[in-house]
Amino acid sequence: MIDDNSKYELIETLARKCPNRMGRTALMKFMYFLQTLRNVPLGYRFSLHSYGPFDSDVLSDLGEAELLGYVNSEVKDYPGGYGYEIKDTEPPSKSEFLDEHEDDIGWVIDEFGSDKSADLELSSTIVFADREERPCSQSTEDLASLVHQVKPHFSKARIIQRIERLEEKGILGQRKGNKSN
Amino acid sequence: MPADPNRQYEFRCPVHGFIQLNAWEKEIVNHPVFQRLRRIRQLAWTDYIYPGAMHTRFEHSLGVMHVATRLFDAIRERSGKVLENELSYRSDAWGRYRQIVRLAALLHDVGHGPFSHAGEDLMPERADGKGKHNHEDYSAAIIRSALKDLINNHELNVVNWRIQADEIAALLEGKTEAAQTIFWRDLVTGQLDADRMDYLLRDALHTGVSSGGFDLDRLVGTIVAIPGEADRGPRLGINEGGVHAAESLVLARYFMFTQVYFHRVRIAYDHHLQRAMTDMLPDGAFPAPINADGSVNEQSVTDYLQWDDWRVLGILQQGGGGDHGKRLSERNHYREVFHTVESPGAEQIAEYGDVKKALGGLAVHEAIAGKTWYKLEGKDVPVLSTSRTEVDVKPLSHYSTLVRNLEPIAQRRLYVDKEKKAEADSIRDGVLKKRGKGP
Repeated sequence: MIDDNSKYELIETLARKCPNRMGRTALMKFMYFLQTLRNVPLGYRFSLHSYGPFDSDVLSDLGEAELLGYVNSEVKDYPGGYGYEIKDTEPPSKSEFLDEHEDDIGWVIDEFGSDKSADLELSSTIVFADREERPCSQSTEDLASLVHQVKPHFSKARIIQRIERLEEKGILGQRKGNKSN
Repeated sequence: MPADPNRQYEFRCPVHGFIQLNAWEKEIVNHPVFQRLRRIRQLAWTDYIYPGAMHTRFEHSLGVMHVATRLFDAIRERSGKVLENELSYRSDAWGRYRQIVRLAALLHDVGHGPFSHAGEDLMPERADGKGKHNHEDYSAAIIRSALKDLINNHELNVVNWRIQADEIAALLEGKTEAAQTIFWRDLVTGQLDADRMDYLLRDALHTGVSSGGFDLDRLVGTIVAIPGEADRGPRLGINEGGVHAAESLVLARYFMFTQVYFHRVRIAYDHHLQRAMTDMLPDGAFPAPINADGSVNEQSVTDYLQWDDWRVLGILQQGGGGDHGKRLSERNHYREVFHTVESPGAEQIAEYGDVKKALGGLAVHEAIAGKTWYKLEGKDVPVLSTSRTEVDVKPLSHYSTLVRNLEPIAQRRLYVDKEKKAEADSIRDGVLKKRGKGP
């Protein structure tokens, strides 16, 4: 299992490599994707909230990473709301763990680094529902219905569009009822 | 005679006054599984530091149900339309959601082991590789097995709500089976949850640490569902008028953590309890509540439910629990030899590492604040301001200088055997002197 320093270094590296500002939602979902889809042994235990998979230990680790100077974090206002911006610090982290998982980190940034918070919440909720409900047992329509119950503010069409995008990337399992079947 | 849905039963609570239950909830409370919570102390061995801390998970569970209901009712009254619009709630479903929230809150801790969190590390690894089981896994398994019939088939439920045990368990676990009610999960586990609000007030009362109090009434009076923005769903927050109440909640957590939950002697006793119970349990761990295929292991759950404080105390009285059992019985706990400041930076962590290395085998236990059950993760809650022409949402830290400047508690503590304390003190002083500190 990953040690604490490696987690702080990972947070710093994600902040450095993320093309957009990395907020708390992005950090939470990157960690979820790394652990769930790339089997990076982060030791978190994600459970579902209305904003998608969440583990408060990620925020706890972020707090310690800030305390130890790996990253800085500040609140940014935007119309109708606010978010956090997590910034890396110099020098860039280097470690055996980061070397070992360089491809995984590159993958999560390539696949999700440019997504907005709402899209990250939707994608991670889809992955969570897909993994938990065993992909082979439900159709795309079933999965979309399930996700729609968690996130009813997204239209079913938009959820299906996102499911298909994740399927194309090979992130979700093959289901009965898919177009390709 | 059919159960009267309007008949209410009452408990008198030292924190909240009267707590009301319906006939169905009363039967759940009367079930042996729930009565077992009378024999599980909320704060384990904390009464050795704060003698009044003898309260149990039983009264806390009733309190969480009460607070969750107050919060739910306040949100419905203030933000019902927001949720009906954004979550497509049907207006006639509110009663069912309310009842699910009440039961989830009532039963959230039914899976605790002896002395609450002290035994949590003795829960076995999960078969799915997702780390160790925790008490929430046991709560969910108990709801799906021992309490299933009483939940699914009680007349009051069948006639009024048709709630399934699985729905309550899934809400506690955070699974997609609870999709329709997942918004309410934040009332059971979140920044503004009823669990935290009850245990802070209750623990403050029983320990006498009055700085652990906060203004619950004002929080209830200002909690809202903040409309979602930028394609995101609604979330829990407070109106601007509740800023100081939310600030007092954050500070209460800070004070209770530093003075009670991470108290140096309490931490030592938790360790002794855990090690003594390791000695008592077959294979040193509680039985796993779930089979490899994800189904409930009913025999394991039955065996697990036989464990409570009374059983552990009985074994201790008979001389069981090995060296750590003896330490508990004789009040001979490990002594702290070194601790960092509450929010150590890199330099203090390095210093701690030096002391730990120098102590070598003398250091018999280490406690890290961020790894404990009551850790202080996050502190911000969204604040909704409607005093201007448009709706504005900002974090609590925008309004509160105190919250903005509150650093995470990442304190570390090192312990040695009482008999080795003088030797360890000398080694520690030597390390600190080399670093230009100490006597």
